[in-house]
Amino acid sequence: MVLGPFLMIAVTVGISYVSANSSSSSHQVAVISDSAVLRKSYLQQHQSGINTKITTTAKAKKAVKANHLAGYLTLDASGTQLRGDYHGSTAMDSGLKAKVQNFLLQYQQLKNYQTAKLTPKQQQALAQTPVLKQHIAAKTGTSNLVKTLSFWVLITMIYIILITYSTIAAQEIASDKGTKIMEIIFSSTTATSYFIGKITGILLVIVTQIVIYICGGWLGYTIAMQNAGIKKLVLANQSLVKGIFHNLFNLNLLYVLLGVVIYTILAAYSGALVAKAEDASKAAQPVIMLSMAGFFIALPFQNNLDAVLVKILSYVPFFSSYFMPMRIINGTAGLGEQIGSLAILLVAIGLFALYIGRQYQRLMLQTDSKNIWQHLFHSRRRS
Amino acid sequence: MLSIQHISKEFGSVKALNDVSFDVPNGQIMGLIGQNGAGKSTTFHSILNFIDYGGSIQWQGHPLSATDFDHIGYLPEERSLMTKLTIEQQIVYLARLKGQSAKVIRPQIDDWLERFAVKGTRKSKINDLSKGNQQKVQLICTLIHQPDLLILDEPFSGLDPVNADLLKQAVLAAKDRGAAIIFSSHDMEHVTALCDQLVMLRKGDVVLHGNLDDVRDQFGKTELFVTTDWTAEHLQALAGVGSVTDRHNHRYVLHLTDASAGPAIFDALTQGHYIEEFSQQPPTLDEIFRLKVGEEHV
Repeated sequence: MVLGPFLMIAVTVGISYVSANSSSSSHQVAVISDSAVLRKSYLQQHQSGINTKITTTAKAKKAVKANHLAGYLTLDASGTQLRGDYHGSTAMDSGLKAKVQNFLLQYQQLKNYQTAKLTPKQQQALAQTPVLKQHIAAKTGTSNLVKTLSFWVLITMIYIILITYSTIAAQEIASDKGTKIMEIIFSSTTATSYFIGKITGILLVIVTQIVIYICGGWLGYTIAMQNAGIKKLVLANQSLVKGIFHNLFNLNLLYVLLGVVIYTILAAYSGALVAKAEDASKAAQPVIMLSMAGFFIALPFQNNLDAVLVKILSYVPFFSSYFMPMRIINGTAGLGEQIGSLAILLVAIGLFALYIGRQYQRLMLQTDSKNIWQHLFHSRRRS
Repeated sequence: MLSIQHISKEFGSVKALNDVSFDVPNGQIMGLIGQNGAGKSTTFHSILNFIDYGGSIQWQGHPLSATDFDHIGYLPEERSLMTKLTIEQQIVYLARLKGQSAKVIRPQIDDWLERFAVKGTRKSKINDLSKGNQQKVQLICTLIHQPDLLILDEPFSGLDPVNADLLKQAVLAAKDRGAAIIFSSHDMEHVTALCDQLVMLRKGDVVLHGNLDDVRDQFGKTELFVTTDWTAEHLQALAGVGSVTDRHNHRYVLHLTDASAGPAIFDALTQGHYIEEFSQQPPTLDEIFRLKVGEEHV
């Protein structure tokens, strides 16, 4: 389970690499010209995607027919007008077309200047081009993108973690249900201690897996950065990447963690409530439903964070893990509000764990004839 | 001392325990007997606080609480271990729950495995052990932390006579240490061999309680074991004899209607001569058990 995502990535990258290599030659084009200078000039400007070994039309035709070449470009500079002809089974892709057009334009211009016998000053005057410049308020564009991406990364992360681990937690607890080993354990320690220990164990498993993913991600990033193209892309968007990381590794990460804690406790409670261990798979359903509710309610409000419902839900345990991070990312929640919401969440976790811990022994040993509603409304314990 | 005073428990309309009271002093063994559903396991669950109950249960003069858990050894009726663990991991895990350090427990494991003749090493997986050996590992887990209160629910169930003797020795060793021990059993032979006291439950009520000899004596010395040339018909005809059980080879048990008939029967059988066997005893625990269960159906 831990290695699953890594295997998926490895398989995808592997398939992409093999696919890219096996098809690369058939995507190349050949450049053919009677003018060696013209051909050399083109090849100097554009090297990628060119098969430089083919230099004659006959060879190019043969290669195209054998599907070893996407097509070939003939360049003719014999007259006053430059001419390029592309021969292929499919149309030129837009990138190649733009490159060829640009090259022909530049070369034609040079040829025109030579024909017109213009002085350097006249050539300079004719080379003047208009200027179009965009003036966008500093950082606003990137900042909005950072917020949107951070929002998606965060709530998707919370959602996936909760969905995955709720089931594991519920099954882990339910599988103990009614076993005699529980009698031995409860004759050795209090149910509350055992419950908290069990939850802590499950959380440590979750944290371990998240740490493995972070380390794996970092390793992948380091490897990816050795690729010049990716490095260029990352460096060009460094402020975006930094912004997203900043939004993830702050108070929001605590919300993710506490969200996992409270949902895990609820999942464990659901596991303890099932009638028999065989029903373990059904146990997580209520928790998954609640988690889905949080996720899907959050989606429509990503651009409407001043809504009253968002403000209310950012204080309600189970929902605050989705809604307060949204508000923090967009800067619509002050520090006081963040601390208030966090305090409510922490108190709720404490009370919830204590409440379940007190019922846990009787639920697990099945010595309790009360139903769930009796538990909820008449929670008491003989001292 | 474990002191149980007037405990009652109902499951819906069923009365599982009804005003049950008894004490288990330190260094003594209490046998809890009764038919299935008599309330034995419910009594144990009450002692361990697994269920709510009416009445009072005290250990060493105070209500039993989490602070006493380290001094309790409990063996449930059905055996259950963590099958993915090795013997060592299982024993250490449960001992640590009892407040023992792994450093103290680990060196003792081989001795305990040898003492209970467990077929397997400390590194053997629980899952790979036979049912009997798993049961012995569970017994080790119950005893290794030297508990002061030992609660054993049907400990002899499933054990062959050799292993049952090993368990008896371990229980008697715990008694010698001063532990208070309470166990349930359907096998009256084990109860007779081990118990200082017994309590018999029937549908949640205490129907017998006391020292083993006193309980038997309550029923009078009405069992007469004789070896004689007399026939069963002649023996049946003697005054005070209710029935006769033939034990083969001229050996009989005379069930007396009145224990005082013994001397007259002795005179009649011996007539001043040697007789190989003449022993007047109270009924066995097994017979008392059948008798008490039978009363219910009268």
